Amino acid sequence: MIDQTILEAIVFPGVFFTIGMGFLFDWLDRKTAARMQGRIGPKITGPFGILQPLADFLKLLLKEEVIPSHADKTVFLFAPALYFLAPLLSMLFIPMIGPVSIAGFDYDLLVILFLLAYAAFVVAVLSYSSASSFTTVATGRLILQYVSYEIPMVLAIVCAALYTRSLSVEGVVAGQSKIWNIFVMPFAFVVYVIALMAELEKPPFDIPSAKTEIVAGWLTEFSGRALSFLKLTKEVGYVFGSALAASLFLGGGLGPEIVGIPPSLLYFLYFMVKLMAVGFLIFVLKTSLARIKIGQATELFWKILTPLILAQIILILALIQGGVLVAT
Amino acid sequence: MPRRRAGAAIPEMLSTMLEHPSTQTYPYQKVQLPLRFRGKLDIDPDKCTGCQVCAMVCPASVITMVDLGTRKVGDRELPVKRPVFELATCIFCSECVDNCAFNALEMTKQFELATSHKEDLTMKKALKK
Amino acid sequence: MTETSSTPMRREESAGLMEYSVENLVPFGPIHPALKEPEYFKLVLEGEKIVQVIPRIGYVHRGLEKAAEMRPWVQNMYMFERTCGICSFVHSLCYGQAVEELTIYQVPKRAKYIRVIIAELERIHSHLLWVGLMGHWAGFETLFMWVWRDREIILDLVEEISGNRVHKSMNAICGVRRDMPDNMENRIVEKMKFIADRARYYRQIIDTEQTMLERTEKIGKISADTAEKLCAVGPMARYVGLRHDVRLNDPYAAYDEIPFDIVTRKEGDVHALLRLRLDELIVAANIVSYAVQHLPAGPVRVKIPPIIPAGEHASHCEAPRGEIYYFVRSTGGRTPDRVKSRQPTMANLPTALEILKGQTIADVPMVLTAIDPCFGCMDRMAFLDTETNRHWTWSGEELRQYGINYYRKRKK
Repeated sequence: MIDQTILEAIVFPGVFFTIGMGFLFDWLDRKTAARMQGRIGPKITGPFGILQPLADFLKLLLKEEVIPSHADKTVFLFAPALYFLAPLLSMLFIPMIGPVSIAGFDYDLLVILFLLAYAAFVVAVLSYSSASSFTTVATGRLILQYVSYEIPMVLAIVCAALYTRSLSVEGVVAGQSKIWNIFVMPFAFVVYVIALMAELEKPPFDIPSAKTEIVAGWLTEFSGRALSFLKLTKEVGYVFGSALAASLFLGGGLGPEIVGIPPSLLYFLYFMVKLMAVGFLIFVLKTSLARIKIGQATELFWKILTPLILAQIILILALIQGGVLVAT
Repeated sequence: MPRRRAGAAIPEMLSTMLEHPSTQTYPYQKVQLPLRFRGKLDIDPDKCTGCQVCAMVCPASVITMVDLGTRKVGDRELPVKRPVFELATCIFCSECVDNCAFNALEMTKQFELATSHKEDLTMKKALKK
Repeated sequence: MTETSSTPMRREESAGLMEYSVENLVPFGPIHPALKEPEYFKLVLEGEKIVQVIPRIGYVHRGLEKAAEMRPWVQNMYMFERTCGICSFVHSLCYGQAVEELTIYQVPKRAKYIRVIIAELERIHSHLLWVGLMGHWAGFETLFMWVWRDREIILDLVEEISGNRVHKSMNAICGVRRDMPDNMENRIVEKMKFIADRARYYRQIIDTEQTMLERTEKIGKISADTAEKLCAVGPMARYVGLRHDVRLNDPYAAYDEIPFDIVTRKEGDVHALLRLRLDELIVAANIVSYAVQHLPAGPVRVKIPPIIPAGEHASHCEAPRGEIYYFVRSTGGRTPDRVKSRQPTMANLPTALEILKGQTIADVPMVLTAIDPCFGCMDRMAFLDTETNRHWTWSGEELRQYGINYYRKRKK
């Protein structure tokens, strides 16, 4: 008899569920972007084309792998697996079917922050290991963009943790039982979403993988299995980033009780609705903005967003001190 | 100077989402072609007299005249020729159609001409006379 | 003690014997996602800024001018129509006009109006294509999809009039081949009004969207004097304030009877080019509406014999990209003796190289697309010795002599 935690961790809501959600987000992304542009997205594979991301993943697995002669073979072949672990592991800390998550403990927010930094570092190593002229340009842009978005993102997460007085995701979610964090600290939410778009390399911040300038950025030299897992990791990272936003700022699975529905199912439904809401917000933003240059992106983060989030933190602390807000 | 803001396209984006999309789902949906569409060439063998004008005006050298013998007109022996069309080379300019004095040629609406046998694109209809 | 530099230096003769080290060289092309057609641009950098651009052209040269010497006059019309897909009508128009002047026949008035209608429809579709491409290179996919959806309206209109979306085959020497279909007037006027409204909406978007403005403002600047000295044509001259437009300066077809005004801008950056082409689009839509409502009656074509009298004549037209120039010489035969065509991208290339100086690599796709390049039209053949990096060109006589000597040597 398999232990229930392990079953949860692997099938639902762990690994398989997260990968399925990654495919679902990819499909939603393509469909809504297409409809907003006046065309239809995927259509043929499965009803409404819902199996299209899975078909793309399987097709890439069957393709030949071409490794550039100057590349570092070990890193090239094995680092994508390391990159794949980061958002997958982080999803285990988010409470989805109840107030307790699968692997949560008292300081897991720190682990999440570490995994975010780890993911960016692995991408830099990946990008540098495929030594071609396009990828070296992409590596430089990547590291520059990472340095820019990291601080506002961490500070936004810290702001949410400060108010709810807890360093675990379950604790932050539980601390929003009276009022959601987004109403207390709206600027932190805005800063977090913009930094999330920079982390996921979505327009206007898809500078490191700018399709029309440096072919495909740091993804250029990958093919076959490595490419399929890299693309999947990006989607899972998208799911995780939205899930974190939903948990930290929109109250996770908390919501008014409805009679007749078992509480864990209700929790899950509320969580999914909020996850989709954040995802949809990012879809709309991503489709409506052009790509800006790396210099302008850095300016945006350092000159506008970092002071904003610092001001938000100081405001929250002052309000707590002055007794206007009660820290839960 | 209009006010600068990010996301100026969002209102139209959201309204486009509710409209019918502009994609024609060809080949699951038939394409509407206008009257003057220049598709594959077709010849009416009964009207062709073998005057060779189409072969002379074709810019892409699609038409070759084939000797089919002679016929008696009064006390003269006149050659009988008929055209053979290599439609793989055709550029669909319809010069032959415009110049045929007997209205034997017309451009149909057929445009799906991809084939795996090149012989399918050689039109020898006019030879059967 | 002399110090030896470890990086190899190369000397480029075409850039005035400029010396640069290979480390500072970033090759742009010939195959690059930002280029529709292959051309090789060597960017010499200093840090992130471009110091010099060294082009190498000739990747899609097809030898059309030589092929024209072996085909009858009418067949050349179809061949030159296929020089370019986007500006195909204007090529055949310019060639036809050059040949018509050698004959004694006059082009009927109705044919001139129909030529104006099709040429302006082509200008609308070309500018819409270009605006969509600028959105695409800037990462703004939504603008690209919307603009190309509106472009389908123009292509459907052209298909109704001529039978094909791209290669219209409407031109003939001394006339047009087909008349306009009946009962199209109201529909055309309505659709032109719709296109003009959409163009105004896109102008509003590029004026207010912050991310597009950051990509296009203050980039690609050039002064009016430099543009005139480098012989910029078309929108590249009009975006710095010069009033160079063949339709105004030397009217052809029916442009002297249709009231319109050309568009110029003063800022001289890529944003000004965007606004300029969208405004030109609106002017073109108005011209089409006017021409459709004032079509004179009469024949559309005059049949001419296949032999054109001897003489030489040149003609120029305003293509969507600038000024096209055709020179035709006849010695009284069934085929021309010499046809020379000079496309606008060839004239705009020095200007393009000049405005790339001082930009960063991220701006190169935007600037190169801003000149509206059509390398397929413009290619020329040049000789290059890769060992010594020497460039040179030959005249027609030298080339012929080289061929004779080559075959003489081979026979031995």
